[in-house]
Amino acid sequence: MSSKQLIELRVNGEIHEIVVEPRTTLLHVLREDLGLTGTKEGCNSGDCGACTVLIDNHPAVSCLTLAIEAQGKEILTIEGLDQQGRLHPLQQAFIDHYAVQCGFCTPGMILSAKALLDRNSHPTEEEVREAISGNLCRCTGYVKIVEAILAVANDQQKVPI
Amino acid sequence: MTEFSVIGRSVPRVDALEKVTGKAKYSVDLKLPGMLYAKVLRSPYPHARIVRIDISGAEKLAKVRGVVTGKDAPEEGVGWIRDRRILARDKVRFVGEAVAAVAADSIEAAEEALELIKVEYEELPAVFDAEEAMKLHAPVVLHPDLLKYTRTPLPYPLYRFDPERPNVYVHRPIRKGDTEKGFEESDLIFENRFSTPMAQHSCLELHNAIAVPEPEGGLTVYDSTHVMHAHKADLCRLFRLPPSKVRVISLYIGGCFGGKAGMIVPAIASLLALKTRRPVKLVLSRDEVFLDGTSRESMTIYIKDGVKKDGTLLAREIRMILSAGAYSGTTTLVAKNATFGAVGTYRVPNFKLDSYAVATNTPPTGAFRGFGSTEVLWAIESQMDMIAEELGIDPLEIRRRNILKEGEEDVCGMKTHSIGARECLEKVAEWIEWDKEPLKEEGSWKRGKGIAVGNKYTMVATRSVVNVKVHQDAAIEVRHSAHEVGQGGNTILAQIAAEEFGTSVDKIRMVFTDTAITPFDAGTISSRSTFHTGNALRLACQDVKRRIFETASERLKVPSEDLSLREGVVYVKGADKTMKVADLFSPAGFLLKGGELVGSGTYAGPLESEDADTGQGKRPVTSYAHGANAVEVMVNVETGEVRVVRNGTSFDMGQPINPKLCEGQMEGGLAMGIGGALYEEMVLSNGEVVNSSFIDYKCPSSLDVPTCGDVKSMIAAAPHQEGPYGAKGFSEGGLVAVAPAIANAISRATGVRIRDLPITREKVLKMLRSITGTGKEVD
Repeated sequence: MSSKQLIELRVNGEIHEIVVEPRTTLLHVLREDLGLTGTKEGCNSGDCGACTVLIDNHPAVSCLTLAIEAQGKEILTIEGLDQQGRLHPLQQAFIDHYAVQCGFCTPGMILSAKALLDRNSHPTEEEVREAISGNLCRCTGYVKIVEAILAVANDQQKVPI
Repeated sequence: MTEFSVIGRSVPRVDALEKVTGKAKYSVDLKLPGMLYAKVLRSPYPHARIVRIDISGAEKLAKVRGVVTGKDAPEEGVGWIRDRRILARDKVRFVGEAVAAVAADSIEAAEEALELIKVEYEELPAVFDAEEAMKLHAPVVLHPDLLKYTRTPLPYPLYRFDPERPNVYVHRPIRKGDTEKGFEESDLIFENRFSTPMAQHSCLELHNAIAVPEPEGGLTVYDSTHVMHAHKADLCRLFRLPPSKVRVISLYIGGCFGGKAGMIVPAIASLLALKTRRPVKLVLSRDEVFLDGTSRESMTIYIKDGVKKDGTLLAREIRMILSAGAYSGTTTLVAKNATFGAVGTYRVPNFKLDSYAVATNTPPTGAFRGFGSTEVLWAIESQMDMIAEELGIDPLEIRRRNILKEGEEDVCGMKTHSIGARECLEKVAEWIEWDKEPLKEEGSWKRGKGIAVGNKYTMVATRSVVNVKVHQDAAIEVRHSAHEVGQGGNTILAQIAAEEFGTSVDKIRMVFTDTAITPFDAGTISSRSTFHTGNALRLACQDVKRRIFETASERLKVPSEDLSLREGVVYVKGADKTMKVADLFSPAGFLLKGGELVGSGTYAGPLESEDADTGQGKRPVTSYAHGANAVEVMVNVETGEVRVVRNGTSFDMGQPINPKLCEGQMEGGLAMGIGGALYEEMVLSNGEVVNSSFIDYKCPSSLDVPTCGDVKSMIAAAPHQEGPYGAKGFSEGGLVAVAPAIANAISRATGVRIRDLPITREKVLKMLRSITGTGKEVD
């Protein structure tokens, strides 16, 4: 019991105070304590990517991230991606390109793609495939997911930086 | 062809917004007040007698609220043959079998409790190989009481037992003509053995259920399944509850591919919930999904073909042996229905097939996308290329010569209808530029193209009911029990409702998969939802429209035959009188005459008698979807590595309801097919799965499939006269022809012919060395 501690996590721009044990995973905190169930558990061993969140805009598998390690960092989950109901371009592209089937890989997939586009706004198809290679999808065969991500990248290219 | 306004259009998925925002709920996401967490203790032995179980230590643990063993479990078994208790009582028959379960305040406490349960086993001899297990008077018998078990009653022949082969519980024969005579008349005979390994569906959502005890003794179960009504019936039977007191709810399903029909997870959660009087959540770990989440059986296929010099098939004999695992599950039916893969495509005048499901001390198996067609087509489509090569006939041409034509009888005696196999074959051949040599080889890489055709049937004798309610704002609420497992069923049904009501998809509301409010449906199996649930929905729409017209006809004072409906407005033929559907209601929301605008539709799929000894019948299946794959591969002759670099798929799905969703099924099937062809295999050692994680069991990643421009999915027509708007189901089909197309391409690139899936680098290299050794050129 004494090993429990109170930590502060910043998730989707909001501060949360949570009691955790040192071994509690970020995935557990997100799903069980904060009710952010858009972050999925597929294997609990870092192999499938369904639990991917962004920590300081880097994709991380939250099942292998300890909650205490995430203190002081900016955590983004799928629930924090839209801006007051206005979808992020990747979310819209996933809808428009039929990149969603069962939807279980979708949150992690979109967040891995966001991290890619934020650091490389003009990725090649190969770079897109590399960026999402840790996110397993059993339904789509990846074609429409890759097309959706590339479509956002191409749209961004039209906007002068 | 009739002009449709919504059918045939790629409208966006109706569930996409929820899914891209993380708001879509799966049962695994639910957390109920007072909920306990369950864990299962599993057998470490493949076959053993349970001598004693001591749960006292576990029960004493703080935070533990209930411990159950086989003694607490219902007498009744589960499975088509009810051969498995939800918790083993006297014997365990595979490594991973559930022996005891704990419900505790946290998962950690439940895990701690498992360690305190002491089980004493007495190990028994085990059998892992199906051909060993099916031998006459096999020494190891898994179910000495096999004949005493009750069975799910079925309207068609299935169960066949042979007292001299006590581990065999299904034998499905098909007989047509005289194969001996056919072989005598043949110019050449080809005889080979092929095999496919155990495979895991690897749905990303882990198997899970939450069982909630209701105050009046009933049970509500949130269940990640695709056969909710079957689960409800089983829960009633197991726990002796009346149907009115059991409610099963399925939310979105994070993939199923046939793999979530098993009863063990919802039943154990229910047992614990009834014992503790608290909601209980059971989620399998990924490792447990491999052990006891239902996997695909391994199959050995012996195939003997007799052909004329021009490649015409004269006789074919197939013997299929399914290592079904320790309990029958749905593999009972797979053993029968897998045979249809050998029935639907080719004209064979003399045909003999025997399929056997055999119990072995391995994890239980069941339906897996393709339902056995994938396995038997692996053998057939590989052998078709071997025949073509030997005879010097183009692989495309040998298929053209033998593919059934509309109206011809297949080997089961069913009249072929809606067959687009030939068109699909031509489409993929054209796309891959079959006539052109592959690109020049680079270094140690060799290129080759391969082709294969396939079919996937939809089963008979299943039923769907759909209810429709029209709201005051003219929105149409569709209440149905076809699971949304990712295939897009809700979107397809919304399009059908929109078409029937002359409106757009955004006016359709989906209320789905909750036995308390949505009507009976046989489930999301056998690629049946578009056809069966779709047909029921059309009937339901017509039913409620009839009521709208009857009511409106009184108000408008015109005969109801003169009325039509579009965008929530009733129009009168030849007059400019109209009436809004909204005006049929009082401001308080009830109908001015009658209560609500509701309608119902029931569709019962075909059922004709079939002969148990010959498999002959007018209608052994509802429909076949046909298709083809053409792939181009690169094979590294130094390392044995195979890369699939291009693929064209074409399937006939009658009238496509939503072309983009159809493409999605072909693309998804391709990826799963590449995995199955090249590396997916559950490896067992003494019956124990040794690669029960995604690190060791590889599913294809985004890097393992061809680039977007190198994947083409093509739709072929072939409308079905009984399907809604001519549509038929095909979603499983995307998988069935992929592996043989890849194997055929590898063979054409290198001369290497692999008969046992998966085609690993080791196998390719070994075979390359052996053919080099015999003097055949490799490079």
